[in-house]
Amino acid sequence: MKKVSLLFSALCLSAGAWAGAADQITVQEPYVRLAPPNAPATGAFMVLKNNGDKDVKLLKADNPASKVTELHNHINDNGVMKMRPVAAVEIKAKGEAVLKPGSLHVMLIDLKAPLKEGDSVPLTLSFDDGSSKTVEAKVVRPSAAVAMPPMQHQGHKH
Amino acid sequence: MGWMQEKTQERLLATAAAVLAGLLLWLTIAWQPELPEAPLPRAAAPSGGDFVLESATGPVDLRSFRGRLTLIYFGYTYCPDVCPTSLAATSEGLKRLRPEEAAKVAMLFVSVDPERDTPARLKEYAEFFHPGIVGVTGKPEELASIARRYGAFYARQAVATAGDGYVVDHTSDTYVVGPDGRLLGKIGHATPPDEVVTIIRNYLKQN
Ligand SMILES: [Cu+2]
Repeated sequence: MKKVSLLFSALCLSAGAWAGAADQITVQEPYVRLAPPNAPATGAFMVLKNNGDKDVKLLKADNPASKVTELHNHINDNGVMKMRPVAAVEIKAKGEAVLKPGSLHVMLIDLKAPLKEGDSVPLTLSFDDGSSKTVEAKVVRPSAAVAMPPMQHQGHKH
Repeated sequence: MGWMQEKTQERLLATAAAVLAGLLLWLTIAWQPELPEAPLPRAAAPSGGDFVLESATGPVDLRSFRGRLTLIYFGYTYCPDVCPTSLAATSEGLKRLRPEEAAKVAMLFVSVDPERDTPARLKEYAEFFHPGIVGVTGKPEELASIARRYGAFYARQAVATAGDGYVVDHTSDTYVVGPDGRLLGKIGHATPPDEVVTIIRNYLKQN
């Protein structure tokens, strides 16, 4: 895992030379939810802040820990929760996109090996202008993630 | 009156007759006299009720949970985000209860995907969230009938990237069964831990 991640960051240093949307996006508190035993998939969550004055679309996320990585959203269809792939996540100019459980998220499908608490997964985010950036997402226990949700900017409807 | 005019009149009459006939037909079929004042009978509320399902350590009878408030969640271990989100929030709520309160609360995780979820697999999965959660499952027709009684819904959906090619869409409420076995209500999907605590305390006070 460590080796893979080192190799990955080395690869991304060269890719990082490419400036663009990736430069105007700040990724806050990225984390991967520790998958329960026997669960073949898990989610990665974060807040994507757009500091620029152009809308940016996140088109793709990649990671070396799972066979498939997809951008997903939840649809609450009359109480039935459905999770479906989405083509892009829009990050408005001067705005943000919140990826959180039960909402938009990066799905890590078919984990190659079980992740451990405290591991770190490099997530490479690719944007609509071809730029990309890699962030290190810590693997966090679900209960810890619930206890300390990543910044509740977006007003919860209560 | 010219020939042309007569013809037009005939046509008008025919049209009027057709319209009238249509109206009559519509009245017969669709028109209903004023609705009665009394409210229409609603679909029967979910009744809940007892069941026996299989756990890693043998059959689990809901009746053995009498005297405790029992939470029941319907889901499956391959669920990538819905179940973990709900179970994490609920179990975090359970962990925040005082020991004397926690002693009066039990929780069941009912897998609606018995094809993939063996009782042994369920045990590991459920206990990851909270050591007290008991994972159970059963035959498809038993599960369908229990879910129906509790008001839960689930359906398989083909998804190419999912393990074995399918996911199970499902409702994500946690049902609350009273110490007497009666279905008291439900806790909504992803209710934050503090609210879970408040809801459980309220039920404990009433029962
Ligand atoms: Cu997902």
